[in-house]
Amino acid sequence: MTELRRSTPRFKWGIFAVHAALILACVINIYPLLRIISVSLRPGNRLISTDLALIPDGATLLSYVSVIKNTNFLLWLWNSLIITVATSLIGVILASTAGYAFSRFRFPGNKLGLTLLLGTQMIPAGMLLLPLFLMVMKLGLINTYLGMVIAYSVSSLPFSIWILKGYYDTVPRSLEEAAMVDGTTQFGAFYRIVLPLSTPALAIAFLFNFTAAWNEYLVARVILSNSAKYTWTLGLFELQGQFITQWGMFAAGSVLITIPVLMVFLYSSKWLVSGLTLGSVKG
Amino acid sequence: MNSQVLLSLLEVLQMVGFVAFVTLWIEAYLYVHFNFPKKSWFLPAVLSVVPFAVLLLVLVAVGPVITVGQAVNIYLYSLLAEALLSSFFRYKGDKKLALPYMLIMPGFVGLALLIAYPLVFEVYLAFHDLKLTTLKVWSETGYLPFVNFEHFYDVFTKSPLSEVSFWQLLGRTLWWTVVNVFFHVAGGLALALLLNNEIRLRGLYRTLLVIPWAMPCVVAVLAMRGEFHSEYGFINIMIGRLTDAFPMLAQLGMHKVQWLSQHAFLTCTIINVWLGIPFMMVVILGGLQSIPKSYYEAASIDGASRFQKFRHVTLPLLRPVLAPAVTLGTVWTFNNINVIYLVTGQSGGTEEADILVSALYKAAFTFNRFSYSAAFALVIFVLLAVISLMWLKFSKGTESAYD
Repeated sequence: MTELRRSTPRFKWGIFAVHAALILACVINIYPLLRIISVSLRPGNRLISTDLALIPDGATLLSYVSVIKNTNFLLWLWNSLIITVATSLIGVILASTAGYAFSRFRFPGNKLGLTLLLGTQMIPAGMLLLPLFLMVMKLGLINTYLGMVIAYSVSSLPFSIWILKGYYDTVPRSLEEAAMVDGTTQFGAFYRIVLPLSTPALAIAFLFNFTAAWNEYLVARVILSNSAKYTWTLGLFELQGQFITQWGMFAAGSVLITIPVLMVFLYSSKWLVSGLTLGSVKG
Repeated sequence: MNSQVLLSLLEVLQMVGFVAFVTLWIEAYLYVHFNFPKKSWFLPAVLSVVPFAVLLLVLVAVGPVITVGQAVNIYLYSLLAEALLSSFFRYKGDKKLALPYMLIMPGFVGLALLIAYPLVFEVYLAFHDLKLTTLKVWSETGYLPFVNFEHFYDVFTKSPLSEVSFWQLLGRTLWWTVVNVFFHVAGGLALALLLNNEIRLRGLYRTLLVIPWAMPCVVAVLAMRGEFHSEYGFINIMIGRLTDAFPMLAQLGMHKVQWLSQHAFLTCTIINVWLGIPFMMVVILGGLQSIPKSYYEAASIDGASRFQKFRHVTLPLLRPVLAPAVTLGTVWTFNNINVIYLVTGQSGGTEEADILVSALYKAAFTFNRFSYSAAFALVIFVLLAVISLMWLKFSKGTESAYD
């Protein structure tokens, strides 16, 4: 496309049209976020209004104070954090070793295992939910972190294994061979050489697990019914349900959640995208 | 909150300990079997089954997790599995294979317990009758009446919710998938082509454009849902102002609409299209940037027009990126419960927007029709499998036509 432009530099209006279209698309894409910020700044008596101004009259941070003081917002965040970190750690640890086995060894069941991993992605998410819920219920783990972590722990595992396998494939074998000549075992070579070299891929896998569990709503809705154990997604849904009364608190909570998530995402998006395409290129 | 914090940490520690214990046990089992494949299997069998028996005894002793009968059953089955595995390892065992199996085992045991076992359990449920009235008996004694294919018959004849029928849901799902994927790809392609020009502020545009994808899905959907509110949502406010300013528009039929109650499906579709475009855009942009510029130069020399370059250079070279993205996008859209549930899931929500999977979710957890929804889930699963297989065949067919 660039060549095209260079060969026809007369079409200045073309560039103008491109800018106009992109600006329009950007506005559509960020407007809901801006509106949420604007609602979160509204003073209590003007919470529900048909005003479209982005910075409302008498802007105040009272909604932020009240979402922290009057609801369990911080507790919800804490719950989410515990569940998410535990899930992601388990996921990454399991995937890091399995990915290595698939990358370096030819063993009976190698191909079959990789295909099965892809196959699990075809299973509708809602399908396993009922048996999982019944299992968790029978184990007496409703309303516990443990139940949540069990339900989440393997959901991103197949994807993580594929990502890590793809990355290990790019690490030259000669490094491990050299280490093994120096007297370490195969597992030692993996642990001391390959794993440290794969930090970026491990980070991607961790991030992927983390965002999947952090933003999850449907499983949490089924397993958690006690407001003190809610994750933030459940809490916000509850606040938003009472549209008229707690709209400001919902907005404030959303902003508090979204800003850090956006920053992490934008900071890491380059790796995330390369991680997403890694499997397809290698596959 | 302090004691809660401590309790939660304790719970996590317990869980990590449990996972570590199971993992270690499995690893020890494999190690023993692979490293003594030529010896009698009696010793390894004792080594690996005795700790398991102890674990079961502890579980029985500690609390109401499993009953004695279940523990004996599990133990006997594990003995059987043990004997089979030992004989397998004895004849096929190879010391070199110990490490890879030990490496993949924890992950695959997890997958077996949390994906394969639930699948089997779902089949069991579909042929038995678990509903709210039988739930208590089942959780105490484990007894469920066998009902044969009754639930499968019901799936096609009775509504999973209160009104909407299976066939309506199926039609709506197909329509939902086609419309969404079409707009995702079309919108993503358009934005990616725009971004692929060499213009100023490209990075800024790209960053702003991925925001719907980057935002937590729950926040994004709930925020958009607010914009469709009949009185305070942006869309109806805008419509109101436009019709006030230009009465002519009102005469043409433009008026405020009850988006959430009367046009829920349209609302969900708009929200999901909005949500899905950025992902496609990023994927397609990556594909566009990997096309070497020399191809376009060569096409220019041959006198190709702008459209011809797009048709004969860009599109074919995007294929390797586009094909997996479209396949994935189709499966994701087909299985997308989130948007529809978040928009219509509250009490008093409508059924007008439900697709198969969201109806499945509501049937199981709003209406508590457990066995029914197990059968329903299996039907959806088979449906999706058939569609995917057909799609794979079709795409393989066109691929070979291209090569």
